[in-house]
Amino acid sequence: MRNVIFFTFMSFLFLNFSPGNFLIGNPDNAYAQDDWKQEYSAICANTQNAMALSIEKLQTLIERCDKLQGQIDVLTGPQAKTEKKVFTKRLKMCRDLYDFALLHKKENK
Amino acid sequence: MPDKILLYVCIILFSFTGFVSATNYDQYFPYIPSAQYYGKVILNNYSTKASVAPVVFDHWLHRAKFTCRLCHIDIGFAMKAGTTEIKATDNMNGYYCGTCHDGKREIAGKKVFDSCAEKYIAEDEKRCSRCHSKMNPGARKYNRETFTANLPRLHEDLIDWEKAEAEGKITPADFLEGISFEREPLKAQDDFSIKVTTWASDVIFSHKKHTIWNGCELCHPLIFPSSKKGTIKYTMFQIMEGEYCGVCHSSVAFSVYLCAKCHKSPVQ
Repeated sequence: MRNVIFFTFMSFLFLNFSPGNFLIGNPDNAYAQDDWKQEYSAICANTQNAMALSIEKLQTLIERCDKLQGQIDVLTGPQAKTEKKVFTKRLKMCRDLYDFALLHKKENK
Repeated sequence: MPDKILLYVCIILFSFTGFVSATNYDQYFPYIPSAQYYGKVILNNYSTKASVAPVVFDHWLHRAKFTCRLCHIDIGFAMKAGTTEIKATDNMNGYYCGTCHDGKREIAGKKVFDSCAEKYIAEDEKRCSRCHSKMNPGARKYNRETFTANLPRLHEDLIDWEKAEAEGKITPADFLEGISFEREPLKAQDDFSIKVTTWASDVIFSHKKHTIWNGCELCHPLIFPSSKKGTIKYTMFQIMEGEYCGVCHSSVAFSVYLCAKCHKSPVQ
């Protein structure tokens, strides 16, 4: 009986805390995985009104882009290679636009 | 005296004729395709190496259903053919073609067929060759002639996409669940004129017309790197070579040969 309980307990631990815990997901991991995508969406949501943003706001957005790129660079997991390729390009388009708008603002200050 | 002038005119005209006939235009201008091939892209970064036929991408089919921004910004396809370097694993991971072509996503009530797979059986080959169709054009489901039969034309067989949308014949989607994100409302910059230094009339550039399908970051700073009026000087030669306006207006959007579409005030 003890063996059965021990085996069940060990199985429970294994299924929950092994890499890629497949029966019971770890919500913290799920949120951590999505955090950078949410940050990406939040940053790039301003592209359509970039020319109307203040210099300070644009500078903040560019800093956030650079910080996020750092996170993207160190992504791991089965999709990391693709995600790095896709989001590096997408983020660069945002960042370049903010940089473009910032330059415009500074020139016309 | 008039004879001399006439002689000079004849010499100049003769020299010009000689220059024109001796010029191989293909060297100087890109091959601007006929309408049926407009925007057709052959993707072969990895296909042949993987022993499958290159992908034939029909731009006309996808642009009838989606805005430029959706594919080139939200999904992330590069503007220059072949530079995205799409791999089968990217599609299997749900990116690039696999964003929609995952066998699950429904668009306009139809399930979009799955793209690449690690393992496939003989029956799947039919599906594979819908895209990997360089050697087998018959495997493609959509035919341009029938698909675009109802769409208004600009000139000869060139489709007037703008009119097609205005008439409700196409409704390009601008948002893809799980990929696109909510953006602040578009604030299009004012239209402006582009001074032309040749015989042609000035161009009135409509920001609004361009941003509706493209957004801002598709053109700035990638294609037009300066916002200061008059700082970028470009010629029709550069445009025809696929630079500046020619990025789109040499192979995808209406042809640069339709001069009056741009060199007219206001732009049509």
